[in-house]
Amino acid sequence: MSANGKGQLLMRNALLLLYFCGSILFVTGCWDRTEVNDLAIVTAAAIDKKENNQIELSLQLFIPKSLSMGGGQGGGGGGGGGGGGGQITLAASHKGDNIADALSKLQAQLPREVFWGQCKVFIFGEKAAREGIQEHMDFLLRHPEPRERAFIYVSEGDAKRFLELSSYLERYSGETIREQSKRKLGIQVTMQDLDEMLTGNAHVAALPYLKIRKEKQTLAKSYNYPDLFATAVFKKDKMIGTLNESDTRGVLWLRKEVKGYTVNVKPKSQKGEVSLNPVSARVKLIPRIKGDEWKMFVKINTEGAIVQNGTNLNFSDPKAIKLLEKAYQMGIKERIEYALKKTQHELKTDIVGFSDEFHRKYPKQWKQIENQWETKFPDVKVIIDVQAHVRRQGYINKPGGMPEQEVKK
Amino acid sequence: MEKGKISSLQMAIMMYPTIVATAILGVPSITAMYAKNDLWLSPILASFIGILTVYIAYKLHKHFPNQTVIQFSEQIMGRLVGKILGFLYLAFYIPVTGGIIRGYGEFIVDSFLVKTPISVVMASMVLLCAFAVLGGLEVLARVAQLFLPAFTIPLIILIFLLSPDFEFKNLFPMFEDGIMPSIKGAIAPSGYFTEFFLMIFLLPFLTDGKKGLKYGMMTVFAVMMTLVVVNLIVFLVLGESTISKVYPLMNVSRSISVGNFFENLESITMAVWILGAFIKISVFYYAAALGTAQWLNLSDYRPVIWPIGILLVEFSFWSFPSGMELGRYDLVNFPFQGLMMQTLIPMLLLVISVVSKRLVKKSKTS
Repeated sequence: MSANGKGQLLMRNALLLLYFCGSILFVTGCWDRTEVNDLAIVTAAAIDKKENNQIELSLQLFIPKSLSMGGGQGGGGGGGGGGGGGQITLAASHKGDNIADALSKLQAQLPREVFWGQCKVFIFGEKAAREGIQEHMDFLLRHPEPRERAFIYVSEGDAKRFLELSSYLERYSGETIREQSKRKLGIQVTMQDLDEMLTGNAHVAALPYLKIRKEKQTLAKSYNYPDLFATAVFKKDKMIGTLNESDTRGVLWLRKEVKGYTVNVKPKSQKGEVSLNPVSARVKLIPRIKGDEWKMFVKINTEGAIVQNGTNLNFSDPKAIKLLEKAYQMGIKERIEYALKKTQHELKTDIVGFSDEFHRKYPKQWKQIENQWETKFPDVKVIIDVQAHVRRQGYINKPGGMPEQEVKK
Repeated sequence: MEKGKISSLQMAIMMYPTIVATAILGVPSITAMYAKNDLWLSPILASFIGILTVYIAYKLHKHFPNQTVIQFSEQIMGRLVGKILGFLYLAFYIPVTGGIIRGYGEFIVDSFLVKTPISVVMASMVLLCAFAVLGGLEVLARVAQLFLPAFTIPLIILIFLLSPDFEFKNLFPMFEDGIMPSIKGAIAPSGYFTEFFLMIFLLPFLTDGKKGLKYGMMTVFAVMMTLVVVNLIVFLVLGESTISKVYPLMNVSRSISVGNFFENLESITMAVWILGAFIKISVFYYAAALGTAQWLNLSDYRPVIWPIGILLVEFSFWSFPSGMELGRYDLVNFPFQGLMMQTLIPMLLLVISVVSKRLVKKSKTS
C-alpha cells in the first residue's frame, strides 16, 4: 500500500518536473529569436533621390569583427581590415522605388538582418528633401525599430557621402554627427520633433543642414568633418531654402535653444572685440493682436560670461560693463533681426514657432487666419527687447598681459 | 458553484487592471483624435458612465444578493426571456473577450514578436488564463494582488522619467472649440468604463458585500485618474502627433532618455501591458465561464473552461479581419455595444425589478 503511494508520489513529481521543464520551452520566445551576430546594426542611414524617380538608400553598418581585430592586438596582425580605425563601418546602398523597396533589395546583399534600433542618424539628401520627405517619414514612423530620438538631417549634395566620411575622435561618422548635434551648436531635431513640426500649426519644419568641410591639418594632411551649423527650411514636407550659420544662431535664440557658443561683440568706440559665453538665456515670445495688427514681442533676458577680452577695457569699471552690455544687447538683437529678415521676409516660413504662440493666446483670431498663416506671417511685426547682463569675468579682471598704463581708466 | 470568497478590496484590485490595462495603450490617441489638447477632460467625463454602471450593478446585487446577471435576469424577466437575455450576455462577453485577446496579440506581434504567428501568442495567453480561471476566484484575486504593484509602480516611474520632456504649452489654448470635442473624445473611454459591469460576477462572492459600492466607486476614480494622467503625459510629450500613433504610450516610453544612458524603456510598457492583459482576460474569461455554467444550470463552472477557451481563441480570429478593424471597433462599435449590454439593459432590469417588487408589495398589503 505504502509502496504504491510512494510510486504515485514519484509519478506525480516526475510529471510535475516534466511540466516545468516543458513550459521552459514556451517561455523563450524562440520564434523571434535573433542573435546579435545575426544582425547588421545600422548606425546611420542616408536617403538620396536618383534619376528615374528612384531613391537610393544607404546604410552605415557596423562591422563587429573590426572591434576584436582593432582593439587588443592592434596594428600587429590585422590582415585586410584596413588600419587606422577607418574600416569600422561599411556603407552599403541600393536603389529602389522607395525606402521599403530599396531596403528589401539591399537586404538581399547582406548576410545579416538589418536592425534599425541603434540608428540615431538619418540624413536626407538635398534633392530628396526638395521633393518631399513625407513618404520617407511614413516608413520611419511606421516601422517599430527606428527611435523617436534619432536625429534627422538634410545634407548638401548626396547624403551618402556622410556615411563614408572618415571619423577621427569618434569611431564612425554617424557617431560624430550625433555627438556634434548633442552639443547644440546648430538646431537639433529628432524624429519626434520633426513629426510634431510637420503636423503642427504652421506646416513648416527646419532641419540641420549638413556640409562637409575640409580643414588643413598640420603638414600636408587634411581632414574632412561634417558641419551642421546651417539650417534647411521646409514648407510642408518640401525643402525650400537654407539659413546660413549666423542666421541659424538667430533662429536658435528664438527657438530657445541657445547653448554653448560664443558671441563676439565689439563695444562702441573700441578697437578689439570681446567674446562672451551666454550662460543662461530666458526667451519669451509674447503675441499681441490689436485690430488687424499682429505683433510679437520677443523678450530675451540673458546672462553672459567674458571668455576673452581683446579691448583695453577694464571690467571692474561699471562704465565699461555698461558699454559691453550695450554691445552684447545689440549683438544679439542684430542676430535675431538678420534671422527674421531671412525667415520672415525671404523664405516666409514660420520655423520659429510664432504660430503656436498666437494660437495659444488668441485661439479665436487664429481660427480665422489659420489657412492664410503663410501670407500673414511676413506681416507680423516683431519687437525685440534684449536684456543682456555680464555676470562673470573669469580669472583676471584687467585685460590679460597688458601693461597697466594701456588699460583704459 | 463558486466556493471561494474574496474581499471587496480584492475585487477592486481585480477590476483596476481589468479596465486600465487595455485602455492606457490606445485611449490617448483615440481621445486626442477628437479632443486634441483637451484630452485630459475626456476620461473624467467618461467616468460618469463608470459611476452609473457601478451603481446599477450594486443595486441589482442588493436585490439579488447571491446571483449573477445570468441568474437574476430569469427571475426578473421570466424563464424564457431571461434565458434569451442570458444568452445575449454570453454572446456579448465571449466575443468581447476574444477581441481583447486579439488586441493583446496584435500589440505583441506589432512591436516585439514580429515573426511569431499571432495564434501562438494568443493561444498561449488563453492557456495561461485558463489555468488561472481553473484555480478559481480566490486564485484570480491573489494573482491580481500579486501583480498590482508590478502593474502600477512602473507606470509611476514612467511619469518621473518622462517629466523632463513635458511641454506644458501643448495643453493650451484650452477649450478652443468649447467642450464638445472633449465629450466626443469621452465616447470611446466610456466604453471601457462600462466594463465595470463585470463586478456583477464578483459581487456575490464578497465577504463584505456592503463595501462593494464604496470600493467599486474607488476603482472608478482610480481608473479615471490613471487615464487622465496617461493622457496627459502622452500629450505633453508627443503633442499633436499623438493622434497618428496606434500605441502612443509605447512611443512615449521609447523616447525616455535620462542622462543619455537610461534609454529605451519600452519593455516597461510591455511588461505592464502583458500583466494587465493577463488579468483582464482572466477576469473576462472567468465571467464567461461562470455565466455559461449558470446559464446551463451546471453545478460547477470548471468543466466549461476548456471549451470556452477554445471558443475564445476562435473568436479572437473571427472578431476582426485586421488590426485596423480592431481599432475601429474600439472607437465606433464597442462604446455603444458596451453601453447597451452593460449599462442600459442592467438599468432596465433594475427598473423592472424595483417596479415589480413595489407591485408585489402593494398587492400583498391590499
